[in-house]
Amino acid sequence: MAAASISTGRPKGGAAVWDFISKWGLITLLVAFPLTYAGIDLANGDGLARIGNNLVAGLSNGAIWALIALGYTLVYGIIELINFAHGDVFMIGSFTAFALYSVVGLTLATGPLGLVLGLLVILLLSMLVCGSLNVMIERVAYRPLRGAPKLAPLITAVGVSFILQNVGILWFGSSQRGIPDLIKAQQELFSIGGVEVSRADLLAVAVTVPLVLLLTTFVNRSRLGKAMRATAQDPEAARLMGINVDTTISLTFLLGGLLAGAAGLIYALYQTNVWYFQGFTAGLIAFTAAVMGGIGNLRGAVLGGLIIGIIQQISDNRIGNEWTPAVVFAYLVLIMVFRPQGLIGEETREAG
Amino acid sequence: MSKLAELRSTRWAAWLPAIIAVVAVALFPLFRPPLDATMSDVIQALAYVVMALGLNIVVGFAGLLDLGYVAFYAFGALAAGWFASDHFSKVNGGEGVHIGVSEFVTTAFPQGIHVSFLLIMIGAIIVTAVAGAVIGLPTLRLRGDYIAIVTLAFGEIISRFAANGDEVVIKGYALSNGRESISPIDQLNLPLVGEFDSATNLRLYFWLALALVLVVLFVNFRLRDSRLGRAWIALREDEVAAASMGVPLVRTKLTAYAIGATFGGIAGAFLGVYNNSVNANQFQFGISIFLLAMVILGGLGSIWGVVIGAVLLSFVNTYVIPDVLDKGSFNNLLSDVGLDFTFGEIKFGVFGFILVLMMVLRPQGLLPERRRAIELTEGTGGDDAIVETRA
Amino acid sequence: MAILCLFGVLALGLAACGEDEEEGGGSGGGTAEGTELTIYSSLPLQGTSKDQSEAVIDGEMLALKQAGEKVGKYTIKYESLDDSTAQNPGTADEAQTADNARKAVQDPTTIFYLGEFNSGGTKVSLPILNKAGIPQISPSNTAVGLTTDEPGADPGEPDKYYPTGERTYARIVPKDTIQGAALATIMQEDGCKTVAIANDKTTYGAGLARNVETSAKELGLEVTSNDGTDRNAPNYRSLAEGIDADCFIGSGVTGENYIQLFKDVAAAQPDIKLYGPDGVAEAAFTDPKEGGIPADVGARTKVTVATLSPEEFEKQGIEEAAKFFSDYEAEYGIAKPDPYAIYGYETMKLALDTLEAVGDKANDRKAVIDQLINNTKGRKSVLGTYDIDENGDTTLTDYGLYTIDGGELTFDKVIKAKG
Repeated sequence: MAAASISTGRPKGGAAVWDFISKWGLITLLVAFPLTYAGIDLANGDGLARIGNNLVAGLSNGAIWALIALGYTLVYGIIELINFAHGDVFMIGSFTAFALYSVVGLTLATGPLGLVLGLLVILLLSMLVCGSLNVMIERVAYRPLRGAPKLAPLITAVGVSFILQNVGILWFGSSQRGIPDLIKAQQELFSIGGVEVSRADLLAVAVTVPLVLLLTTFVNRSRLGKAMRATAQDPEAARLMGINVDTTISLTFLLGGLLAGAAGLIYALYQTNVWYFQGFTAGLIAFTAAVMGGIGNLRGAVLGGLIIGIIQQISDNRIGNEWTPAVVFAYLVLIMVFRPQGLIGEETREAG
Repeated sequence: MSKLAELRSTRWAAWLPAIIAVVAVALFPLFRPPLDATMSDVIQALAYVVMALGLNIVVGFAGLLDLGYVAFYAFGALAAGWFASDHFSKVNGGEGVHIGVSEFVTTAFPQGIHVSFLLIMIGAIIVTAVAGAVIGLPTLRLRGDYIAIVTLAFGEIISRFAANGDEVVIKGYALSNGRESISPIDQLNLPLVGEFDSATNLRLYFWLALALVLVVLFVNFRLRDSRLGRAWIALREDEVAAASMGVPLVRTKLTAYAIGATFGGIAGAFLGVYNNSVNANQFQFGISIFLLAMVILGGLGSIWGVVIGAVLLSFVNTYVIPDVLDKGSFNNLLSDVGLDFTFGEIKFGVFGFILVLMMVLRPQGLLPERRRAIELTEGTGGDDAIVETRA
Repeated sequence: MAILCLFGVLALGLAACGEDEEEGGGSGGGTAEGTELTIYSSLPLQGTSKDQSEAVIDGEMLALKQAGEKVGKYTIKYESLDDSTAQNPGTADEAQTADNARKAVQDPTTIFYLGEFNSGGTKVSLPILNKAGIPQISPSNTAVGLTTDEPGADPGEPDKYYPTGERTYARIVPKDTIQGAALATIMQEDGCKTVAIANDKTTYGAGLARNVETSAKELGLEVTSNDGTDRNAPNYRSLAEGIDADCFIGSGVTGENYIQLFKDVAAAQPDIKLYGPDGVAEAAFTDPKEGGIPADVGARTKVTVATLSPEEFEKQGIEEAAKFFSDYEAEYGIAKPDPYAIYGYETMKLALDTLEAVGDKANDRKAVIDQLINNTKGRKSVLGTYDIDENGDTTLTDYGLYTIDGGELTFDKVIKAKG
């Protein structure tokens, strides 16, 4: 994973050239998207406010995807499994958060102090619920399959995903459900040169940044974090060094779940809308983000999340809402073809 | 050896159960009314068998994890939509193109492109083979899960194009009709058999589906035992070793994708005609996963296993859950236990549960390919990251 | 290997022989057998349309109960079918709808098919039922192309749904040329000069959007955009920001994530007026307590539905309506039913009254169709007095305009559509 370099050393010679070209080619492609539209705007005399708004919305949406992407990347880094159910764990987090609104007694009339305290409580509870859910899933569905062919845990993950979605359907029904706009998410906080920053944007950043920092510190500095990195690098050797691989894996799932739970609450506050199917779509997007940044790489996941968020918003705004998934996935394919290790990922054991 | 033992050891004996099954299935429609719902379910199941066999070639034989198979189904269905309906109504100055179709169609639908079903099949095969190769190209240098991601991405991109096809207009011809469906699609009209009619008699469609399955099975068996099939298996087991033994990697992989894709195209074209409409709602990611589950349930790379897996899952999905479990007695069972919902509402979760159960209990599938079974029972380790004996 | 091929050929050979066997249960109008007749209803019972479908069923069953489940010497059996599936909840699944239609065809006692709920579903079931000669009434289809080729229909419609050339389908709600005109009229009355449209890309939503666009242009309003929306998108903020008009109409159903769409448009465009069609005329959309649009958005939204309020019905002298509302409350304990409940009631009542009108020949599908399409004139019903024209359309054209008050649809006035 991230900080300690577990790569096989920097590529040399011809490979280094290709590495350089692909990296900067990719960056150019990504940057070209907003720049082209900025250019068009300026040419039309419209100013940069529109693209600025897209960027701000993209960053805050992207923060949510980043949190979920971290969960994917952590799990993949340690056991090389695409945890299909992770998006649905996020959905359960949103549902839990919404359910807790009334339990904690938060309504549209609650004052700011009560709101903040209440939301903190809900944040912790959602995180715990999702964390434990994730650990339980690992224990029940993935651990028995460690020796099985790669595809088996993939299918199990899908099965778990279906089960979670059904739980969602039974919990809040099969339609999208509007939920109270507790923090008045769309209300503008301030505006710089026509670019609006709303409360929701601030919320997304305010929750994500500390969590990501906490996570990276934990992974890089703590003993358990070191155990995680060791297991990711070479599980056999880790075991020989006395690391309890099973516990470490469970811990990884726990961390992923905690982040998904936090993302769930932010999503609920930001979108004011929950749906049993949101996890599936969010999962695909977050997974794309993780891959884009470099799977197995924490900074990559965050970067990927933000980038995808921006691409989505620009595509929504310029090309059309219904084409956005195609645009996002087209970028994914480009990255996979030309630079499978993602933007900043090192070579993991599986990439090309 | 006794006469009986001698008989039993002949080659044909191994086929006997399969032959009996095929005959039984073929005779089945004669005992049911012409519009029977069970027949309709079986037709769906047969179409899924064709697709699952196609996916089996890519995932089972060649070991390339394809999560975007629904794209090929979409291409097949769209081929039916383009070439057997009024969709391209402006073609030929509004006069339409009619090749090999019945009188009824020519008079009732003067506009649009209407060609015989065999031609549509050929068209679908060509389109999907090319699509398969194109989708396979980016994955050539990738390994393992990354192939899954790219194919998944392509699957989503193509279903997006199908859903928004009404906005993609080239020279006045729209790509598809999105979610408003291209309908009606011409009924089948085969040269010797005459015209089909899905509104009055499903038997003909049933037998056609069965014939398609048989043809596809035949192709599969020939492929498996051919040089190409062995190249695929070599590719699956160890790519580097295969390359060093002279297996042309690129060609082998692309052929796997292309051939696997054609089965999806065939099934897609058939279903498009059978359902009488082509609607982007049909092209959901869930289908790719459904097919993958069938292949894995049956046993990766095992042809009969995949057939059984496909039939089983299809039946659970279209028959057991809605028609058996969702009726009175079971629902009463649920409410007796104090649960407030019907079986239909938890169908999804039950399905997922079945998947999990199957995988945890028997990941090699119901009828595993012999190589796989040996691998798992004797444990050759492979390249799995964490080797741990199952509790 | 050869044997398998042999069987393949044999199977096809059997097919050739099998072609001349008996056709389905009565093609081209047959006689239903016996003295028990079956009425099938096909609605999406899963997903986002569940509540509306159940209201339709409640209405249908009330009408049936009031008739004592008998018409003349025939007893009526009612069977409710689901045309949605778990994979495709909230709308008509094509394969499932075809199965429902075929089930009705196969049953020799079928005399009426009440469905579909979604216009896209009827596209699938109508040709099958038409071939079999089974009369069909829809409680809610509004797509123009199902009955006429007026603007809004695709080329080839409506004939492609009637392979026999005869009409066998009727509907009790006006088609969307009327709703489009109604919406355009009300927008013009409210002072809109420019209109932005969004549609959910289904047969209903996209079709209605086209009708609104045509009618708006006829009335001199400028249509600035007509965007398709994707149900899976988490939000529509960017779409909302791109809108540049006085008024917005979201042409779709609640289940296509239209709650979120309306919220986002309201937030991004603080001054825009919001309009919705009957696809969002339900409590799930209007009531914030059930997860619908918040109160401040609801205050800016107006909805059109082809039903009038009990008070308006009374004002127009339709006593049947008042009776319906009180009967409904007595039976189900709901004072303000979902607008679709009354459609369900009228659908069943029309069916039953048609059967009664043909008397002893109620088991003769052809006679029933003839009565339904050609002889339903001046019918006094809970929706008002109307005819069924030769296309199967109702002659009712009243649309009710509703505002949203306290999370509920509140009748405002009748819209007499222009053009």
